[in-house]
Amino acid sequence: MDYQQDFAKEVYEKVDSGAEIKVCMQCGVCASTCPLREKMKYSPRKLWTLIRAGRRQEVLNCPDIMLCTSCYTCKVRCPRGIPVIDVMHGLAHYALEKGITPREETKKFGEAFWDSIYETGRVDEATVPIKYCLKDGMIAGLKKSLSMLDIGMALMKAKRLTPKLFIPPNFFIPGSHKIKGLKDLQKMLDKAKAMGARKEG
Amino acid sequence: MSKKICGYICKGCGIGDALNTAKLAKAAGEQGVKEFKEHDVLCSPEGVAMIQADVDAGYNALLIAACSSRVKTDEFAFGSQVLVERVSLREQVVWGLSEADEEDTLMAGEDYMRMGAIKLSKSEPPTPYQLEGEVAKAVLVVGGGVAGMNAALAAAKAGSQVILVEKEAQLGGFLGKMAKLGPQTPPYRALEDTKVDELVGKVSGLDQIKVYTGTTIDKTEGAPGNFTVSLSNGEQVRAGAIIQATGWLPYDPENLKDELAYGSNPNIVTNVQFEEKAKTGDLSGINAIAFVQCAGSRDQNHLPYCSAFCCLVSCKQAMYVKAANPEASVYVVYKDVRTPSQSEEVYREAQRQGVIFIRRDETYPSISGSGKLTLTTKDVLLNEQVDLEDLDMVVLATGMKPNNPKVVDAPLVAFGEDQEKAKQMTEEAKAQNEDWSILNLAYRQGPNLPTLKYAMPDSHFICFPYESRRTGIYTAGTVRRPMRVSQAQEDGVGAAMKAVQVIRAAEVGCAVHPRSGDETFPEFAMQRCTQCKRCTEECPFGAINEDDKANPLPNPTRCRRCGVCMGACPERIISFKNYSVDIVGSQIKSIEVPEEDEEKPRAVILVCENDALPVIDMAARMGKTWSPYFRFINVRCLGSVNLVWIADALSKGIDGVGLFGCRRGEDYQCHFIKGSEIANVRMSKISETLTRLALESDRIKVSEVGINEVETLMDILKSFQDTIDTVGPNPYKGF
Repeated sequence: MDYQQDFAKEVYEKVDSGAEIKVCMQCGVCASTCPLREKMKYSPRKLWTLIRAGRRQEVLNCPDIMLCTSCYTCKVRCPRGIPVIDVMHGLAHYALEKGITPREETKKFGEAFWDSIYETGRVDEATVPIKYCLKDGMIAGLKKSLSMLDIGMALMKAKRLTPKLFIPPNFFIPGSHKIKGLKDLQKMLDKAKAMGARKEG
Repeated sequence: MSKKICGYICKGCGIGDALNTAKLAKAAGEQGVKEFKEHDVLCSPEGVAMIQADVDAGYNALLIAACSSRVKTDEFAFGSQVLVERVSLREQVVWGLSEADEEDTLMAGEDYMRMGAIKLSKSEPPTPYQLEGEVAKAVLVVGGGVAGMNAALAAAKAGSQVILVEKEAQLGGFLGKMAKLGPQTPPYRALEDTKVDELVGKVSGLDQIKVYTGTTIDKTEGAPGNFTVSLSNGEQVRAGAIIQATGWLPYDPENLKDELAYGSNPNIVTNVQFEEKAKTGDLSGINAIAFVQCAGSRDQNHLPYCSAFCCLVSCKQAMYVKAANPEASVYVVYKDVRTPSQSEEVYREAQRQGVIFIRRDETYPSISGSGKLTLTTKDVLLNEQVDLEDLDMVVLATGMKPNNPKVVDAPLVAFGEDQEKAKQMTEEAKAQNEDWSILNLAYRQGPNLPTLKYAMPDSHFICFPYESRRTGIYTAGTVRRPMRVSQAQEDGVGAAMKAVQVIRAAEVGCAVHPRSGDETFPEFAMQRCTQCKRCTEECPFGAINEDDKANPLPNPTRCRRCGVCMGACPERIISFKNYSVDIVGSQIKSIEVPEEDEEKPRAVILVCENDALPVIDMAARMGKTWSPYFRFINVRCLGSVNLVWIADALSKGIDGVGLFGCRRGEDYQCHFIKGSEIANVRMSKISETLTRLALESDRIKVSEVGINEVETLMDILKSFQDTIDTVGPNPYKGF
């Protein structure tokens, strides 16, 4: 039996902006404008169909929902005004909340990003990737960072990245200093997290 | 009334620089226009005042040599009793021949002056046709549905008496059978009441509208301004114009027995049946329902077209179910959702309410089950076969058929084939005709309005909405094409405006669209008629009846002044006051044809004034140029081209004759429906004769141009010129 409505209703009610996908008319503009379409198994368009068709497992386990880079092209172009990226992020959060990790790398990178903000109040091009790589452990992390050496060099050439001395495990490095009033920022972030949890719960 | 002729030459827009106006005046003088005046800008207030002074002094025939007859029409209009002939020096000589040498340009200018002058000399001011007796001014509306009632109200508002005839016992039509109406007001989300009683009340409340319910039409005789209509209740009414708003018939679902299991389960119903259920019954018991779109529509085995309302109706009906039971699963299985204009909002609202749309491919879903139904379909968006189970009901969204008998015209090409084949093709066409009638016209051409291919009685699918091929009879609403309620409302008003116009035209004695205001009409020199019936056969509008002895009986108020009868008549007895076989023949004969050794060939191109002439003007305005050996002559329609003109041209030594007109065929754009088709058939027959006279049939060329196709026109002109160069000079030159 296809097109059971239980999962669709769950998405409409519990996922951030989930109800907006009701008006999708399957034109495919999101799919054709997405710069990451080739990396995706499904496009946003097809994900919405799968939601309507009640394919819970396929949707929540799909790495696509964590591939969105928030470029906003789909949201700008959607003729029905669906905030596609909000729903993609909403679905990713919802999956994580249900104990499913659709895409391990994105999760780790997100954590590294969050940690960086939480600990220093800044996002730094040098520290976040290193933190992300080291999530896999010391050896694997170094290997991974070396494999991305060319990207790092290119970034450096373009003056997007300043070389620093990294001393794990404690990232106390000259240059990546903390912002003023970090404690206040952390209070805000804690509060926001609590509010988010309350809403989802 | 004697004619006092004066000619005017404008020297503006570069005409004065390019042409020797004295020589032009002299050329026109050879054909009877002796007096000439010049002006630097003839269309300026001073120029017009100069002409007006002459008109006031008694001049009543004016040759205006300036720009195309399609521009400055208001400036150069001096009332219907003053003949005005325009010579298009600017477009057809100065601009179009700007690359030719001075001598050729002047020769062309002189020829155009001669042609204009002879036409003016031979034309007479028109005497408008007056119907005998009083002109009937009432509008008869057939059908009391949305379109019919709105037509009646609009005509009444415009001051006409209206007779409204409805077959059913009460007014309302399909609107009366609807539970709710789709959204009519912004933001177009909520369903609305049909308010049919309000509308019916308005119609029956007006003294100007006389309503006959439970009545049909037994017989319709006469012509615009003078229809006599016999009703089924024995009464006879007179009307000046008729609006047929007979609505639609639902597509017969019995035809969908095989594809969609109609009839196998009482819970498989059509959208019309479901609407009835929604109006009378309770829908809250429905927990799961599926709508199948395009059930027998856009399908070559059923209705080949889109009915343009079923998607909207299914969205509306899905909302009925959601309103009765918000938890119900509602599916719409579609090929393409087609919800134009505001109905897109309804589609969106249905989605918001949780209706699920599933896209299928060309194959129909399979529907099975004796109690609860199961629907299996290919889901193209998932690219899988999907099952919808436990459905309480399946609604087939079937389309609209016009409530009008299908009438297939005998294919014109039959006239060009051998007689046996022509007979057979005519029989085949007749066999497709449906044998019932709504208006029961007492016309020689049959009791029904001729229809386009899907039995819709329209005359022209783009340009002339409401017009049927019987003048004074207009169609409105879903009989004309499938449409929604809000469109049918507008349609009724539109047709009413046309009806009011045609009555007024009958009073004045002038033509309706496309030659609106033309006061000439065909006159028959009956003593020379041979009763060949060609004019009655070929008139695209059924304007000519016949008596017992096959004498033509023209009905001038039905006439659109295309001149197809004039082109058809082998005895050449049909003519208009300013357009006749003699006039155009004389224009052709007035062209100066140089001797063969001068190597200046000549080709006459008969140009339809509806599409081809505007393209020529447009080409000239865009800076295109053509050979100075062409001479354009305006004709009302290619159908009015009489074969004798071809003979006139060729015997005069002219090297080629072109006929440029509107598109023909199934998606014709001919303003007189089959004029260019007829011209094509006639010319195919003439080629035989030419060969017998040792003339190449290539010398005659019939071409079609759309009104915006400048490049096509240039290609046609170029290739025609090449053809004439190839076939060489006309051997009859100098005879």
